[in-house]
Amino acid sequence: MSAPHRLWECTLMTLIDAPTDTVASVHSRTAWTRVWNVARLHLVDRRTYIGIPWLIVGIAFVITVFIAQIIGFTTGGLGTADAIEGQRYSWAVLSPQWYLIVVGVQAISFGFPLALGFGVTRRDFYLGTALMFVLIAAVNAIAFTVLTQLEQVTNGWWLDSYMFNALWFGLNGWPVDLLSFFVVQLLVFFVGAFIATIYMRWRMLGMVIFWSALALTIVGTVMLITFTSSWPAVGTWISAQGIAGIFAWLFVPAFLAAGGGFLALRRATPKN
Amino acid sequence: MNLTDTNTAVRVDGLTKKFGSFTAIDDVSFTIERNKIYGLLGRNGAGKTTLMQLLTGQQFATRGTLEVFGASPVENARVLQQICFIKESQKYPDSFRIEHVLASAPWFFANWDADFAQRLAVDFRLPLTRAIKKLSRGQLSAVGVIVGLASRAPLTYFDEPYLGLDAVARQIFYDRLLEDYVEHPRTVVLSTHLIDEVSNLLEHVLVIDDGRILMDQDAEALRGSASNVVGKKTDVDFFVAGRDIISRDGLGGLASVTVAGLSEAERAGARAAGLELSPVSLQQLIVARTTSTSAG
Repeated sequence: MSAPHRLWECTLMTLIDAPTDTVASVHSRTAWTRVWNVARLHLVDRRTYIGIPWLIVGIAFVITVFIAQIIGFTTGGLGTADAIEGQRYSWAVLSPQWYLIVVGVQAISFGFPLALGFGVTRRDFYLGTALMFVLIAAVNAIAFTVLTQLEQVTNGWWLDSYMFNALWFGLNGWPVDLLSFFVVQLLVFFVGAFIATIYMRWRMLGMVIFWSALALTIVGTVMLITFTSSWPAVGTWISAQGIAGIFAWLFVPAFLAAGGGFLALRRATPKN
Repeated sequence: MNLTDTNTAVRVDGLTKKFGSFTAIDDVSFTIERNKIYGLLGRNGAGKTTLMQLLTGQQFATRGTLEVFGASPVENARVLQQICFIKESQKYPDSFRIEHVLASAPWFFANWDADFAQRLAVDFRLPLTRAIKKLSRGQLSAVGVIVGLASRAPLTYFDEPYLGLDAVARQIFYDRLLEDYVEHPRTVVLSTHLIDEVSNLLEHVLVIDDGRILMDQDAEALRGSASNVVGKKTDVDFFVAGRDIISRDGLGGLASVTVAGLSEAERAGARAAGLELSPVSLQQLIVARTTSTSAG
């Protein structure tokens, strides 16, 4: 069926590769194609990054609507400003993130050995994986931002039930929502991938050192702030940042995790 | 790239790999020529998988040089695109089905033949929509075999590809490998324990033991390189005296001795002395060679 195509490919191969390679060689793919193919490899099973997360969102939505209606029935109405404000405490909007951090881990723990078996370099694997993370984060950010806006326009899906206008989402306009969804999604993927990469590179010892260092850093920071009586200053600083500012700061850990993961993976070896 | 290199797929010189204080590969040197089928034979833990991981850039060498198609394979996209490595312990994403593997493999292997992969899936009776994690050991091996064959990579490594495969499936693997190799010549390296099963397939044999290359020989030459001499103990002892004895076995007054390199005249002499001569299989020869070294 693909005979003419093959013939063309062979002719091309001979033209390009004739001076260097002899029999049974394959023509080299460009760097961009190789990186893109890794992104496609992650997405060949669409359930992992698209199907299951959106199934979780769907289930969370149905549950949110039910709970809102129950509360509405017992308190005598959902339409009031208080009731809308009360629904902001729900974490349902972030429900797929708990699954997606595991997906970030598996992108490395399963994806890396598979990609190496397929003759992919560590560099191409990491760049393709990062590209896929950025793409999915962008798509999810747009989708959640649109849903947040729709929810406002429809007054909670005509049921006064709010899932997407919760926590810090839907307060400062859609550009801030777009930014905050995007950075949260990136952070979730890259932190998951970073942890898996530490394990891939240094195994159990790496895990012990990583988690101990993280715990020490957190406890140390809290101690430093407490001993210098700086909590009021920290509070002032945080409120000065605003929602957009806080989320912009999250690019720092996301970038550190992404860069650190790249450096760690360059010398990592798959487990037997 | 000079002319001598065009015939060489792999060149290894003084290659060493240590894991802490354990030396998995110990100062190994050999070359792999293009378009031949190599057998990488050796006992469990001899270093076969580690060697293949070094040759495919999955592990980093401690010392020595390693060239695949004229360059180091480590992080070298030009080289790695020509390689397919089917590892016995290959991991797949948790949710993957067989169809996902077959759908994505063509993106990485330029010579991939999808029709061939489909035919092999039928041969091995693989249910394409079944999740990888629900496959039996044999079915999992069959997935690897299909990828390894249909990829038609210029350099293909099979690391114990037959685990869990029944005798019929193994025969299908050997038959398809040979058929496809004849039509599309390429370099194949096969690591295996089942030496006799693949004996006729192999053109060259590398035997690795304790991280060292014990034998690096043409398979045809190796097959004719030893004989079994059986007869009365006294006659046998007289005949083999001063020869290169590979192994010795005996029961009562009878003895069976494996010796290396008998000429046609010597064979005639042995038969005249009332001794029986029988050929030694590749497997027997390698078992004898690898046990004698570990004993001594």
